[in-house]
Amino acid sequence: MDTVKIYTNIIKDNMDRPEKVNKLINFGLTSAYYYVSFFKDKRIPRSLHYLNKYSIKSIKDSLANPQNSAWVNLFAPSEFLIAMDIKPLFIEAYSSFMSGFFIEDYLIDTAESRGMSNTLCSYHKTFIGASELNILKKPKFMMTTSMICDANIPTFKYLSKKHGVPLYIIDIPYKYSKDAVVYVKKQLLEVAEKLEEVFNRKLDTDKLREVVKTENKTRALMREYLNYAGEKRSLPTMTFEMYMLFASHVFIGSKEILHFYEMLVEDIKRAPEKNGKSIFFIHLLPIFEKNFKDYFNFSDKFHIAGSDLNYDFLDEIDENDPFKGIAEKLILNSFNGEINRKVARIKELIEKIKPDGIIQFCHLGCKQSMGGTFIIKNLASELGIPFLYLDGDCVDKRNNQEGQNRTRLEAFLEML
Amino acid sequence: MIGYICKYTPVEIIEAFGEEPVRLDSGYKSHERAEALIHSNMCSFAKGVLENIIENNIEEVILTACCDSIKRLYDVLKDKVKFIHLLDLPRKKDPLAIDLFYNEIIEFMEAYQAFKNKNFAEENLLKILESKSFNKEKQSAESIAILGARLKDDVIEKIINSCTANVINFTCTAEERVFNIEAKDNLLKSYAESLLNLTPCMRMAEDRSKLINKELKGIIYNTIKFCDFYSYEYAELKSKADLPLLKIETDYNDSNSGQILTRIDAFLESTGIKKMEKQRAKKGYFVGVDSGSTSTNVVIIDENKNIISYSIIPTGPKALESAFKAFEIALNNAGLQEKDITSIVATGYGRVSIPFADRIVTEITCHGKGAFFIDNTVRTVIDIGGQDSKVIRLDDSGNVIDFVMNDKCSAGTGRFLEVMARTLGISIEEMAKVHKEVKENITITSMCTVFAESEVISLIAQNKDQRDIIHALNKAVASKAVSLVDRIGRKGKYMMTGGVAKNQGVVYAIESRLGEKLIIPFEPQIIGALGAALISLEGK
Ligand code: SF4
Ligand code: SF4
Ligand code: SF4
Repeated sequence: MDTVKIYTNIIKDNMDRPEKVNKLINFGLTSAYYYVSFFKDKRIPRSLHYLNKYSIKSIKDSLANPQNSAWVNLFAPSEFLIAMDIKPLFIEAYSSFMSGFFIEDYLIDTAESRGMSNTLCSYHKTFIGASELNILKKPKFMMTTSMICDANIPTFKYLSKKHGVPLYIIDIPYKYSKDAVVYVKKQLLEVAEKLEEVFNRKLDTDKLREVVKTENKTRALMREYLNYAGEKRSLPTMTFEMYMLFASHVFIGSKEILHFYEMLVEDIKRAPEKNGKSIFFIHLLPIFEKNFKDYFNFSDKFHIAGSDLNYDFLDEIDENDPFKGIAEKLILNSFNGEINRKVARIKELIEKIKPDGIIQFCHLGCKQSMGGTFIIKNLASELGIPFLYLDGDCVDKRNNQEGQNRTRLEAFLEML
Repeated sequence: MIGYICKYTPVEIIEAFGEEPVRLDSGYKSHERAEALIHSNMCSFAKGVLENIIENNIEEVILTACCDSIKRLYDVLKDKVKFIHLLDLPRKKDPLAIDLFYNEIIEFMEAYQAFKNKNFAEENLLKILESKSFNKEKQSAESIAILGARLKDDVIEKIINSCTANVINFTCTAEERVFNIEAKDNLLKSYAESLLNLTPCMRMAEDRSKLINKELKGIIYNTIKFCDFYSYEYAELKSKADLPLLKIETDYNDSNSGQILTRIDAFLESTGIKKMEKQRAKKGYFVGVDSGSTSTNVVIIDENKNIISYSIIPTGPKALESAFKAFEIALNNAGLQEKDITSIVATGYGRVSIPFADRIVTEITCHGKGAFFIDNTVRTVIDIGGQDSKVIRLDDSGNVIDFVMNDKCSAGTGRFLEVMARTLGISIEEMAKVHKEVKENITITSMCTVFAESEVISLIAQNKDQRDIIHALNKAVASKAVSLVDRIGRKGKYMMTGGVAKNQGVVYAIESRLGEKLIIPFEPQIIGALGAALISLEGK
């Protein structure tokens, strides 16, 4: 802990020297990478260990070579990037890492001082702050979708204008229809053209098809994993459920992620039977919140059963027409469209995983998620499962009221 | 009647059905019922609309998939009203997007037709569109623009009435509706296209910078509490546009219009846009005088609770003289004379010695009143003045239900900070800066000003970084304030008033201790006087 503190302080003292901070962050990521490579924690299954390394490396790689990278958000279709060997950097992951380095407060204050609203989602503020300070070197391209989260379009528009970096916004309709698919497909064709132009290389459609095939295989494994998620205990910390977002979203379609899921399925088959109580999370897990860390990480009593965000799409993508297939995948995401879609997915997952309780951590600023809290609460009571919602922030630690959270969390866990 | 909120709503279709479209506003006094249905951290406009729909029993609603808040509003309302429809609004306007939107409109028409059992006649639509398409006047040269989030109608109206310039409303409530009705063979399609061609709002993918032209004399930029869409554009304008720019934040709460209008007025004056003759308030004006130990503050309001003017001056050795002077300045600022004043309420330490007051009221009541008026979500007021500090607990109607004050010494007050600034040899402004990156986390152990001063002297002698000492002092004041809060129990939201609220460092330190943001009014020193003025008005 103290090394981290010293490191944090060095970064903060150098904020006016972006070059240096950049190096320090790279150093931090490299050390983290070597740390997880050499000091294997016995309690962590092989697959998650692999994922841990993969995630750190992916961030490191895109930061190290901004000219071959694109900024995206969690839901952007990165299949194109994978097929063209462009390294994506996604906002949510970068900001989480900065929070891990304890410098999110500085970055958030910077964003706010430039005029960003104090209720804006801190994943976005942290990212904006870092780019305002030029700690984040500008990439060659930016790509976002309009779906799910309001912050995406304005954040990317703002950053693209500021840095003069080309941006493509993919507008995803709220409702599914044939016309909607046509509309998105056309945009995906445009985005591909744009990528070819900016990076000056061709998109090989066969390669894209290969990525989609791999993605389909990966999703099959994901579904298989879910068959065991109810009985087994395989996620030692909350962070891993969040690391899974690298696999279930931005990097899905890559060979490495397929390999990860293969290992994950093997691991869960071998994992011990679940004991204690299991909790299913809605949307995000507060990986930096002390109370949650105390109760859930490496715990025998409480077990993380999963979260709906990792399973927002479980179907197959059309391999014959990957553009159309990806368009459908985007529109049909369970987080897009009416909340009923999300509710149906949660219900499906809960019936499979049979958790003992459901927790929704309402991340400050995330309207799409907290706006549905009471509807999900109703679902939980319909299913007869205790439900708790807590307000806080997954990135900005200052927005968590530890004392209050503790009482409510403890009371809830006692209730189970 | 069918309620809607967005300018992209096909209101002309509704009219063609022979039904009345009504733009929903959110003139709520509380969000109690809304917050039972939707999380309280949602945008205050969306909550207000929800409240409005429940309160007025609105049975038919059409929404657009505008933002996350409205989408969730739709989800929540779905089984609560008789008819609800959500239109998916594309963010682009290429031919495919127009097709999509056209289909959406057809879908809505069919749904509404089925619900009402009424037929739709295209001739009606054509007539309505014809009547609307040609009445757009060219704007004259001197204009100010209202950008950002929607503003309440009454605020827009007051802006229009208070200046001579053209006021162009670019927000969601803009009324410009020009339609292409040439293509009569496919009227609905070109109607859909015309709608998508309206001035793009923030959620659209289009670049909005073309809205800002050189002719504008200024921009009033509105943001709404808990809505994050608009801060980006504001940030961009702030760094780029070389136009006068005023940012305001509203929360669709009736009670803060007064404060906003004062700021808008001042802004219009500063842009050189001549103000129209003020209309005389019929029932006269009402004054609050807060005669504090350090400063004397006066606020004048009109019968509609608009703040007309205010003054803040240091209290001299004779409280009465200062009160006269502050009153005079406020009258002058407002362009009023004493005879225009209907009644005066005095508060503060010196209240008893103000002969021209009609009534005296304690500063506890006045602070509570003023704070609740500025923001009715406030439940705890932390007031740190020059010589004393207090914490006031309000109930849901703004009544004072509990309070605590500091002991009779200057620990944790403005005075404490002043003494320390002098000891450090720096200005009070320098003291007010936030120093978040501390090298060393020093703690001042003594609360007593005299002892703390010697502690500071010895820290200086030890060559400690001045910023760390300032940080330590701000923390000391914060800890005192928070322990006062803890004496009556924590309950948000918190507002901080009094001169020390201008000290960012203290505010930050209190926020970190409470783990909550403090609401800081635009002029934290006048809240007591404002409360007194309100009491003066209500006493009439
Ligand atoms: S937490 Fe919510 S608001 Fe923030 S990036 Fe994710 S979806 Fe968007
Ligand atoms: S922001 Fe745009 S879509 Fe939303 S209500 Fe306003 S005009 Fe309509
Ligand atoms: S104010 Fe903002 S969050 Fe609220 S409804 Fe309008 S766009 Fe949505």
